[in-house]
Amino acid sequence: MSTSTATLDWLLRLCPSDSAIDRKNLASLLAELACSVEPGLSKGDIPVRDPRLEQLRTLLFGREIEALSRLREVVENPEEFAAAVGRVLHGAIANASSDERLGPVLAPALERATQSSIRKDPGTLINVLYPLIVPAIRKSIGETVDETFQSLNETLKHSLSWRGLRWRWEAWRTGRSFAEVVLKHTLVYQVEHVFLIHRHTGLLIVHVAAKEATSQDPQLVSSMLAAIQDFVRDSFSGVRHQGLDTMQLGELRLWSEQGPFATLVAVIRGNPPETLHETLRAVLTSIHAERSRTLESFNGDSSGLGDVEAQLLECVALRQRAQRTTRRGFPWLVALIAGALLLAAGLWGLRSWEDARHWDRYISQLRTKPGIVITETGRRNGKFFVAGLRDPLAVDPQALLLGSKIDPRRVIASWASFQGLDPALVLERLRAQLQPPASVTLAVADGRVVATGTATPTWLARARSAGRLLPIGAPEFDLSAVRDVNDGPLSKLSDAIESRSIHFDYDEPLPPPGQNATLDQVAKELNELATLAASLGVRTRVTLTGHSDSTGRGTFNLSLSLARAEAVRALLKKRGVDPDLLAVRGAGPLEPLEVEASDAARSVNRRVSFTVGIGEQP
Amino acid sequence: MLGGFSVGKTSLVKRYVESIFSDSYLTTVGVKIDKKVEQLPDRVVSLVLWDLAGEDDIGSLRMSYLRGSAGYVLVADGTRRSTLQVALSLRERVEADYGAMPFVLLLNKSDLKEQWAINDAELEDLRHRGWWVRASSARTGEGVEDAFKDLAVRVTR
Repeated sequence: MSTSTATLDWLLRLCPSDSAIDRKNLASLLAELACSVEPGLSKGDIPVRDPRLEQLRTLLFGREIEALSRLREVVENPEEFAAAVGRVLHGAIANASSDERLGPVLAPALERATQSSIRKDPGTLINVLYPLIVPAIRKSIGETVDETFQSLNETLKHSLSWRGLRWRWEAWRTGRSFAEVVLKHTLVYQVEHVFLIHRHTGLLIVHVAAKEATSQDPQLVSSMLAAIQDFVRDSFSGVRHQGLDTMQLGELRLWSEQGPFATLVAVIRGNPPETLHETLRAVLTSIHAERSRTLESFNGDSSGLGDVEAQLLECVALRQRAQRTTRRGFPWLVALIAGALLLAAGLWGLRSWEDARHWDRYISQLRTKPGIVITETGRRNGKFFVAGLRDPLAVDPQALLLGSKIDPRRVIASWASFQGLDPALVLERLRAQLQPPASVTLAVADGRVVATGTATPTWLARARSAGRLLPIGAPEFDLSAVRDVNDGPLSKLSDAIESRSIHFDYDEPLPPPGQNATLDQVAKELNELATLAASLGVRTRVTLTGHSDSTGRGTFNLSLSLARAEAVRALLKKRGVDPDLLAVRGAGPLEPLEVEASDAARSVNRRVSFTVGIGEQP
Repeated sequence: MLGGFSVGKTSLVKRYVESIFSDSYLTTVGVKIDKKVEQLPDRVVSLVLWDLAGEDDIGSLRMSYLRGSAGYVLVADGTRRSTLQVALSLRERVEADYGAMPFVLLLNKSDLKEQWAINDAELEDLRHRGWWVRASSARTGEGVEDAFKDLAVRVTR
């Protein structure tokens, strides 16, 4: 613009007003010229206002003055001047377009023009930009949606697995979203190759590869990629201005980003995040911004594009490694913990099952016991419980529990007392009540309680009374098989003993030697008695009563009779009789056997007599 | 590489370079690409050869494959006159779309002398137009190296 203003000024200066002509100078110049033609002429003859000067000027510059005035008319008439500039404007701009200053100079005017166009009718600009913007927006939205789906897919895939739980923990620990953590672990990828391909020729501009990556000749690959792009574009209508964004072969992906002059193709192994598109695009944009000219006029010579190579190397460095730590071999610790948990659960289950088995066995055992009626059983809060009725004489459930492998502390029992009529229980009750001597055996036979053996008459009487008092429906108490002790050998033996007596001489406390045979006999019978009584379970007591005749003083006789009884006891003891079996007493002359009317009768009365007492065991 | 059906383009390329891509590309994508590094006196040139699937129907040619090319090899079968016509019309088509660029014309199958169907006068006529025309044989290798080398020189001139 500044150039055109300057030109205008210059043009205007070319047409100065008459007054601006240096008439004085012109006149003197003409005078000098005239003098040189006609030397006699004097200078200063020509007046400044001489009209001939003007004529001369017209003669000399008439055509130029005319041209200038036409030019002036054009310049001063805005319409004509605009028409004139309009004719050359496109050419001028085309010429100036190589000048880098043109862009910045035009920019503000263009901006204003755009603004005003938008204000006037936004539709125009929208229509202009539509073909450009819509595919870009579509692509951007598409990538965002892809990214969202990718995130969603991975999240769903891993939300319930063991790894998923671990990642949830990690997300919670690091404060990041679960989806983010999932992507971090699952999107394992490596950019292996990056090709920068000239769009127009399909020639390779720059190729960089990761260290381990190999490929065919990069130039051929890039040409082939360009060919395939063309192929797709040609084969399917409607994609003329778009390229092939993505190709996938197994775990290898080709992602390409199109720029105005170059296409960036990344060969990626693995599962890259959608955001990688953006990274690649940013690199391509930056390459274009910096080397637009070089790219546009690329002719196959890549020398001098070292910095582009450096930028592409950054792309190749893009990768996300698998989390090696989690895959390094078998997870022993986890397996160990899981194993331990399983084992514990198994043991608990086994124990619980065994407990239940033991409990069932215990309960069924209890059910068979007389005097126990189970009304309820089960498990509550990890404890067993049993409730029912129990005869006090029945087996003690607690005692039975001790033999059942169940911890008694885990058992809650509640028993209500009752009296059972089961023969065994009745037997127990009778046994507790009657305390039968050892000679009596109580047993259950044919639903009856049968007593056998021998018993004293007193016990028999009590037993009969107990039998009569049994409640209705109770088994019969059969005492018919119990013999009275007095009916058997015991009474015979006691009769025999009681018929004996040891005789004494007058005033003698010791028996004469003639009594030894009787003493031996008595000792033998007493021993038999002791044995028999023990076998019958009865208590016997033999009282030795000493007697004297009635001659002499009473007190003396009393002590004499006691002495005699003591003497016999000592003699019997000597013969092996248990002294505890024997009691002594002195009767003096008070229990004579015969009336003392003669010496013979007195002799009969001087004796020790035997009384056998049979009773129940204490 | 441009030319009618079965004129021997692929065989010529094979004679010239060791291919890495299989011929199936021709039937699938319609192009097979090979590379040959040519040592010229003053420089080293990498020739990237796009062997286009040959069709006698010129309309079916994928012209987009010619975009950005520096030169081309026109191939005709010396035993079939019609293929020369195909080649000539291909050249016209290319010039119409992409302007003039260096090319060489190969009349292939020169080993089949007895079936040769193009007379020398015709060739002379073409040469008079300033064209580089040679007989070649993919079987014997005759004229192949020269053709590519000449093209390499001319495209880098």
